[in-house]
Amino acid sequence: MNNELIRRLIDSKKKLIEEFDLPVTVRKSEEEGGCGVVGFCCTEPVPGKHIYEPSKQMHNRGNGKGGGIAAVGFVPEQLGVSRDLLEDHYMLHIAFLEPDVKDDVESSFITPLFDVAVSQMLDTVADWKTIPGLEVKPPDVCRYFVRVKADVLDRFILDHQLRELDRREAEDEYVNQNSFKLNQMFYSAMGDKRAFVLSHGRNIMILKVVGFAEAIVDYYKVQDLCAHVWIAHQRFPTKGRVWHPAGAHPFTGINIALVHNGDFANYHSVCEHLLQRHIWPQFLTDTEVSVLLFDLLSRTYHYSLEHIIEALAPTSELDFDRLPEAKKKLYRAIQATHIHGSPDGPWFFIIARNNVAQKQFQLLGITDTAMLRPQVFAFCDGEVQVGLIASEKQAIDATLLSLSKDDLRICPVADRYWNARGGSHTDGGAFIFNLTRESGRLRMTCTDKFGKPVSLPKGAEPYDFASETYLQYEVGRDIEQKIRGFVESDAAALYRYLRDHISAWGYDDIRAICRLMTDNAKNTNTIGIAIKALTMLNDLRYPTGAKKRSHLLHILRGELSRLLKGLPRLDRSQDAPGNEYRLIDFATRNALRTPMQNETTLAIDAFGFPPEGEQSDASLLMDAYMKGWRRFISFGCIGQRYIGNGLGPETDDVTIDVYGSSGDYLASGIDGMTIAVHGNAQDQVGQITKQGKLVIYGDVGQTFLYGAKGGEIYVMGNAAGRPLINSVGKPRVVINGACLDFLGESFMAGDPHNGGGFVVLNGVRFGDDGGLILMNEPYPGSNIFSLASGGAIYVRDPGKTLVDQQLNGGMIAPLTKKDWELILPYLEENERLFHIQIEDLLNVNGERRDPRQVYRKVVPFVAGKVAEELEDDLLDEEFLEEEALYEAGAVVG
Amino acid sequence: MAEFLETDCKLEEILPEKTRKTRTPQFQQARTIRPALPRYRNEISKYIILRDEEKCAACGQCMAMCPQGVHVKKPGYKYFALPKSHLCFGPKCEAKGCYCITACPRGALRIQENPMMKALGDYRWPAAMILATWKMAERGEVPSADYGYEFETGDSGGGFDRIRFKFPGKPPIELGKDEIDTSLELNRRHDGRPRIRIDVPWYGGGMSFGSVSNTTQLSKARAAVAWNTFSCTGEGGFMERMRPYDDHMITQVATGLFGVREETIQRVRIVEFKYAQGAKPGLGGHLLGDKNTEAVAKMRETVIGISLFSPFPFHSVYSIEDHMKHIDWVKHINRRALISTKVSTPNDVDMVAVGSYSAGTHIIHLDGGYGGTGAAPDIAKKNIAMPIEYAISKVHNFLTDEGARDQVTLMASGGIRNPCDVAKAIALGADGVVIGTAELVALGCVRCGRCSTGRGCPRSIATTDKMLVPKINLEWGAQRIINMYNAWRNELVSILQRLGLRSVSELRGRSDLLMHLDYTNDVVEHKS
Repeated sequence: MNNELIRRLIDSKKKLIEEFDLPVTVRKSEEEGGCGVVGFCCTEPVPGKHIYEPSKQMHNRGNGKGGGIAAVGFVPEQLGVSRDLLEDHYMLHIAFLEPDVKDDVESSFITPLFDVAVSQMLDTVADWKTIPGLEVKPPDVCRYFVRVKADVLDRFILDHQLRELDRREAEDEYVNQNSFKLNQMFYSAMGDKRAFVLSHGRNIMILKVVGFAEAIVDYYKVQDLCAHVWIAHQRFPTKGRVWHPAGAHPFTGINIALVHNGDFANYHSVCEHLLQRHIWPQFLTDTEVSVLLFDLLSRTYHYSLEHIIEALAPTSELDFDRLPEAKKKLYRAIQATHIHGSPDGPWFFIIARNNVAQKQFQLLGITDTAMLRPQVFAFCDGEVQVGLIASEKQAIDATLLSLSKDDLRICPVADRYWNARGGSHTDGGAFIFNLTRESGRLRMTCTDKFGKPVSLPKGAEPYDFASETYLQYEVGRDIEQKIRGFVESDAAALYRYLRDHISAWGYDDIRAICRLMTDNAKNTNTIGIAIKALTMLNDLRYPTGAKKRSHLLHILRGELSRLLKGLPRLDRSQDAPGNEYRLIDFATRNALRTPMQNETTLAIDAFGFPPEGEQSDASLLMDAYMKGWRRFISFGCIGQRYIGNGLGPETDDVTIDVYGSSGDYLASGIDGMTIAVHGNAQDQVGQITKQGKLVIYGDVGQTFLYGAKGGEIYVMGNAAGRPLINSVGKPRVVINGACLDFLGESFMAGDPHNGGGFVVLNGVRFGDDGGLILMNEPYPGSNIFSLASGGAIYVRDPGKTLVDQQLNGGMIAPLTKKDWELILPYLEENERLFHIQIEDLLNVNGERRDPRQVYRKVVPFVAGKVAEELEDDLLDEEFLEEEALYEAGAVVG
Repeated sequence: MAEFLETDCKLEEILPEKTRKTRTPQFQQARTIRPALPRYRNEISKYIILRDEEKCAACGQCMAMCPQGVHVKKPGYKYFALPKSHLCFGPKCEAKGCYCITACPRGALRIQENPMMKALGDYRWPAAMILATWKMAERGEVPSADYGYEFETGDSGGGFDRIRFKFPGKPPIELGKDEIDTSLELNRRHDGRPRIRIDVPWYGGGMSFGSVSNTTQLSKARAAVAWNTFSCTGEGGFMERMRPYDDHMITQVATGLFGVREETIQRVRIVEFKYAQGAKPGLGGHLLGDKNTEAVAKMRETVIGISLFSPFPFHSVYSIEDHMKHIDWVKHINRRALISTKVSTPNDVDMVAVGSYSAGTHIIHLDGGYGGTGAAPDIAKKNIAMPIEYAISKVHNFLTDEGARDQVTLMASGGIRNPCDVAKAIALGADGVVIGTAELVALGCVRCGRCSTGRGCPRSIATTDKMLVPKINLEWGAQRIINMYNAWRNELVSILQRLGLRSVSELRGRSDLLMHLDYTNDVVEHKS
C-alpha cells in the first residue's frame, strides 16, 4: 500500500474528529491492575461452556466487577445463517443499556447504511438475579449480519479518495468509523451511556458484563454455542461502582478481540501516538488503546504480525544486537516510528483474530519486553489439537480438563507448556496459534513472532481414554509377580523396572500394571512404595517409545490420584488401624484432629478448596501442623496458593509433597521444611525462604525466591523472569534449565566460600527420549546479576556465550578448583533427585571436559568486605552478643 | 493489652508453637511525664545572654529577678555559671518587669539573638519549631507563649503552613478536657480480625535499624507502649531485642524484604506493606555502605559495608490483583494481623487507595512529599509526590463516594510536624497520622540533613556507629518522645475543645473548619 493512500485513510478519520469537535487530549478514566486472562483455540468447534471452568479458576484475579468473553469461528447452522453469509458479513454486536434505545440506534446507524441479512436479539435467562456472579443487569444485545450498502460505500470511497484501496478494506474502514460514530452518539465516555458496539468483525463475537466472565455463558445462554477460538477475561477495576460493562474486556477491532492483563505507564504517550493518526479513544482504558494500536498497525499500515509485535514490544538490549543485520535495520525503522506508541509497563495481550486474508483463525499471546505479567502457553497435539494461553497454568489445566470430558480425544495433559521471553531475539515474546483449513478440516500450528514453529514431542501414538479394555487386560504372570514383589519391598527398584519396560509396553499394559500396583497397595509400606514409584514415573524422564508422554502422564497421574483418594479417611478413625496415612478433603475438613499413634501422613485432597483465605487447604495444612501433623501430601491442586506458608520457624521435621497445579507463593518463608513439587510451580515461589529444601520437578514461574535468605533449592526445568532478586544470606540453588531474564538482580548473598549463597545454572533440557540436551545458550536474557554485591552464579557455558553486555555490576571469572568443590555436592544431590548425571553435564560434544572448561562464574564487580578483614569500627561484637542473648530468651524486658 | 490478645485471639489456635515461644513478657512503660533535660550542657537557644565578668559584681539581682532560672550561681562559687540561655524569654521580660539586662546595676549583661537561629532548620522546620519541639520533649507541654516560638506553622509558604482553623469565637458546646476522646480505631472492616484502638490518633513511622540506631528505635517503641499506640520496624528487620515490644510494633514488609521472616510477621498485630515513600516515590530504598555495619548486615543477611538497595516496586506486585495476593499471603501467615498499605501520593492516589481497599487492606497509609530525612534526595523531596493536603482530601472524598470510607482507616504522613498538623490532616479527611521526623527532633535532631552521610549523625540518632550510639540513653530517649506525645495530645485536645468537638472522629473530614490563606479574603490571619 502506498504512503499516499495510507495518508488518505488516516485523513478520513480526521473528519470524524472535526465533526464531533473532540478535545485534543485524552485522560484515562479509570485504573485497573492485572487481571485474569485465558484463551484457547481448537481444531473442532467447541461449545461456550468450556470457557466456564477456566474463568472460574481466575476469580481471584478479578473482583467480579467486569468480565468478558470473545469467540471466533462459529458453526453457521447454529446461528441460522449460511457459511457464505457467516464468512462475508460483518457480525455486529450492539449492547443496549436502555430499553428503548434500540430503534434510535437502528434508525441512525444500521438500517439506512447497511443491508441487514439477519438481526437477532440474543436470548437470555429471564431473571438476571438468578445467575451468580452478576452485579447488575447485563445489557440487551442484538446481533446483526450486515454489509455496507453499495451506494453508501461508494460515497465513502469517493469522499475520501480511497479508490485505489481494496473495496473490502474500504468497507472495513467504513464499519469501523460507523461504530465510532455510534459510540460517540450513544456512548461517550463523558456523557450519556445508552448503547455501544461490542464487536464489529466478521465471524467474531464479544460479550461483557459487570460480574464474573462465566456469568455470560449462563446469562446469554451460550453454553452450547460452538466456536473455534474462545478468550475470557476477569477484570479488577479499582473503581467501586460500575453499572455498565463497556469498560470490560475484550475490546474489538475489525476482526479481532483483545484482552489485556496489566497497566500502561505511558497511556498518555500511546494516546498521543494514536491522536496524531486521528484515532480517538472512547472508552478510556489501556485495553481499548491496545486494540486501536493493533488495528492501526494491521489495517492501516498493513504490517505483518511480526512487525506489529515489534512495534508493540520492541526488541532491545543484547537481544537486538543478536538479530540478523537485515532485521536490525527494519526493526530500527519500526522502533523509530512507533516507540512512542509502544506500551510501556506490565502488559500481556491475548488476541483472538479472524485473519480473513489468509482464511485463518488465530489466537495470539504477546508479552511486554520486561515480562512483568505472568503468562503460560500450551499445545495439546493429536487428532484434535488445542492451543492455550493463560495468565496462570491452572486456567489451562481447567480448560483441558473441561474439554477432555466432552471429547476423549483431548488429553488433560498438554504436550508442551512454555513461557515467552519478551522482546527477545529467540521467540520475540509472542506466539501465534493458527487454525488453517487443510483438506476439509482445520489443523493447528503454533509459531513464534518470527514464524518459527514450536517443536513438539515426537511420540505420536495416542491413547483412547474412552477405552476400558485395560480393565480386562491380563498382565503377564511373571510381570505380575515382579510387581507384587517390588510393591512389598523397593520403590526405586519398582521404578527402574517400569522405566526400563515402558517404551516396549502398550498403554493398556501400563494402565493395567499401574492398577495392579495401586490395588496391591493396602498397608503403610505398600502404599508408600506405590506412591513413590508412581511419583518417580511422573517426575523423571525416560524413553516412552511411540507413546505420547502427555498421555502416559495422564494415566500415571490418574492412578496416583486414585490411590491417594482411596487412603483411609481421617473422619473415620476406626478405619484401617495401623495405617499411617489419612485423607482429608473439603467435605470432611472439619474432622481435622491431632494425629493418633501410628498416623504420620496427612493427605489433603486440595480439589474443592478455595485458593486462599481461612477455608483454603493451605490454612488447613497450617492448622494440621499446629495439631501435630508433620508429613503432608497435597494433591489435586488447582491453583491453590500459600502451600507450606505460615508454619513459622524451625520446621525441619515437616515434609510436604505437592501434586497437581500448585499455586502462587508456594513454599514462601519456609524455615527448615522440605517441599517437593511434582510438576510445574507457579509465581512468587519461595519468597523470603529462610532455610529448608525445595525440589521442583518441573519449571518455576516469575520472581522465584525473591528476597530469599537461605535454603537448598533444586529446579528440574526453567525459571521464568526475575529469579532470586534481592536474595540475601545463603540460598544455594541449582536450576537445570535456563532463566528468561534478570537472574540474581541485587543479589547480596555474601561470599559463597564463607557460607554465602550461589546459583548453579546448568542450561540443559530433556529430549523426547528422556536424554539430556545441552542448550547452546544457557542464559539468553540481557541482564544477569545486575547490581549484585554478594554471592555467585555458576553457569554451565562451555561455548562462552555469556558476554559482558549481559552484565551490569558483575564480572565473569574463571572457575577455580575451590568453586568446583563448593558446587559439586549440590550437583551430586541434583543427580540423585533428577537423574541428571554430572558426567553428562561435563560432556561437551562427546568429550568429557574438566569442570573449569565447562562452568563459568559470575561474581560481583565490587566485592563486599568479610568480617575478618574489617577495620574495627564496622564490627559490633558486643551488640551481636546481646542480640544472641535476646534470641535465646536469656534476657527479657 | 496482653490479656486482650491472649483471650480474644486464642493465640494457641492461630500461632504455631515455635512462634508463640518467641513471645516474651511485654515491656511495661508508664505514661508518666518527667522532665528529660537536654543532652547538651548548652542547648541551642533563641537568645544568648552575655555576661561581662569584668563588670559583674555578683550581686545576684539578676538571679533573684529571673523567673526562668537563667542565672545560676552555685553555692560556694565566687562567679556565676554560664547563663542558661535556652531558658530565656528574651526582651519580652521588659514589659513584665523582670528584664535582667536593664536591671543589672553595672550593665554587665547583654542579650542578642542567637545567630544560629538563621542557620538552624529550614523553611519547613524553622528553628522556632525545632526549639519548641525540644521543649515539648523536655517538659511534656507546649512551651509557654513567653518563649515566642511560633511552632504551629513553618515558613514553607504552602501545605499546612497556609492552612488555618476557623475557630469560632465561642465553641458551640462547652467541653471539659477530659470529655474529649482522642482514641482511634484501626480495624473498620468487621472481618473477624481484632479491633485495635490506639489512645492517640498517630503512630510512629518506619525507620529501619541501619538508618537509625537501635536506641532510637527502642525509644520510639517505648513511647508507643506508654501511649498504647504503635511504632514500626522499617525495612531492616526485627531486632531480637524488640521482642518485648511485639504488641506495639508494626512489621514492615518493604520491597527489599530485608529481615522479613514468617516469624517476624507472625509476632505482631499490624503488618505494613511499604510500596513507596512520599519523599522519594519510585526510587526505592537505599542504605549507604558506611552504615551497613556488621550488626546491620547480620540483621539483613547481607554483605558488610555494601550499599543496600530496596527496589521499586515489589517485584512480585505489578497490579492490583498481585497486591491482593500479597495481602492474602500475610493474612494467611498471621491470622490476627491488620494490614496497612503504605503508598506515596501520585496523581491517581484515589484509585490506588480504593484499589488497596478492595484488595483487603485495613489501613491505607498515604505518604506525602513533605517528609523525608536527609537520606531522600533533595531533587525528589517535595517534587514528585502530590502534596499531602491534596491527597488526603482527594482520597477521603473518593472513598466516601465509593461507599468505602467507613470500612477503612486512612492514615496520612509526610511532614506532620506538630499537633496542629495532626488536627489539620484529620480535618481534611484522614483518620489519623503517622509521624517520623518529629520523633527524631524530640531526640535532639537539628535537621542538618546528613542522615545518609557516613555513620556520623552529629546528634547520634541516625547512626549505627558504636561510638555515637551510646550518646543517647534509652530511658532518656523514651521519656523525650513520651513527653512530646503528651504535649501533642494536650494541644490536640484544646483544638477540639475550641471547636466544640467531642472526639477526633468528629473532626474527621471537617474541612469546612479550615481555610487556606491562598483562597480566602480574610485579611486577618487567624492563628491556628
